[in-house]
Amino acid sequence: MAVAEKPDAIFWYGCNMTRHGEVIRATTRILEAVGVAAAPQGGPASCCGSPKDASARINEGMARRTIESFNASGAPTLVTWCPSCHMNMQDSMAPVTPTNFETVHVTEVLTARQDALRPLLARAVPARVLVHAHLGFNGRVPVNDLVPALLRLIPGVTVLDHPYRAPGHMCSSIAAVPGALADAHRATLATMAETGADTLVTIFHSCHREAVALERHGIRVVNWIHLLAASMGIDAEDEYKAWRNAADPRAAIGAERLEAAGAVAFTRLIEGELTKPPVV
Amino acid sequence: MTLAEHVRGESARLAALCTACGACVRACPMTPYARGAGEDSAVTAWGMRELLRDGEGNAPGLAWIAACTRSGQCSAACPEGLDAAFMLRLAQWRAKGALGEAARIPVKEDPGLPSRVKAFARLTLTEEEQREWL
Repeated sequence: MAVAEKPDAIFWYGCNMTRHGEVIRATTRILEAVGVAAAPQGGPASCCGSPKDASARINEGMARRTIESFNASGAPTLVTWCPSCHMNMQDSMAPVTPTNFETVHVTEVLTARQDALRPLLARAVPARVLVHAHLGFNGRVPVNDLVPALLRLIPGVTVLDHPYRAPGHMCSSIAAVPGALADAHRATLATMAETGADTLVTIFHSCHREAVALERHGIRVVNWIHLLAASMGIDAEDEYKAWRNAADPRAAIGAERLEAAGAVAFTRLIEGELTKPPVV
Repeated sequence: MTLAEHVRGESARLAALCTACGACVRACPMTPYARGAGEDSAVTAWGMRELLRDGEGNAPGLAWIAACTRSGQCSAACPEGLDAAFMLRLAQWRAKGALGEAARIPVKEDPGLPSRVKAFARLTLTEEEQREWL
């Protein structure tokens, strides 16, 4: 996917989004389709520093390197995906290292360009959806309103309202507190049943990673980008979900791709995550 | 300015404005997951504020800080209009020993994170995408 040498924006997808390459790819194509040439950038070399919160010196060094890279790109806009990255940019990165770009969340960009987006959503996607919403981050960027509004542009989608909001800003935060993620998933399943929704729509990547195993309870789990992509005719197959719910993830991935990932790396770093028992 | 200076400066500024009334603790959806934090919300808030004042804090305050998941309900509840969620963020840094002190809450760092991120990238991104996007 070619992006201009000096892009309109950097699409800062974060680090753990590499589980969902199709979401990075589809988001970039959607941004391009509404007139924003965004160059994806993420991974360990573009870290916000938060994995090293126990050392201000290391955290600062990682964050400074990331900002210097963004500054050097000359892009006037940084489009964020991850709520942690977005908040860290505002709270601790930009106050310490000067930036020459504006930071906006991807939901804000697409909302601002919804007049361009609407005619591209040509294919009907029948679904009665519940948006998986958290309490946090919504005070910074009103994602709990913006995502349902974007989904309502898709023919065939019915967004069902419910006041339940999970604690935290995304599921990775509550997964670190014993019992909290299981409580949130039980509440989500109860809300799905109460509303009659057939599809749970995640907003963030870590929520998607944790929620896909809920398909074993007879519901469908997709990310909001999957639905936009489906309506636009963009291929965005959710391979992570298939691997996570496969009886044999190795077989689902296939020998050739396992070899590309590295057999030792797969065993040591990935397999445990794909085979762990669901929290509910 | 360094991050350590930013953390120290913001800690002092916000701690000076905080009355430790406990409204933030009562509004927090994670308080039930933090041992002892809900027993006396003002004591818990005092412990958090003490940490921002270079103090030792207290057990319920540290438990509450450790359970913070950035829900943001504390900020909305603060009668002083403070960004209490950012105070918790500052308190987490300090409780984890970010300024060079001993850690007072468990530090859950994942040393495999960068390698895992790259391993997943090799599964889900083309070689060209890895070169350009990582």
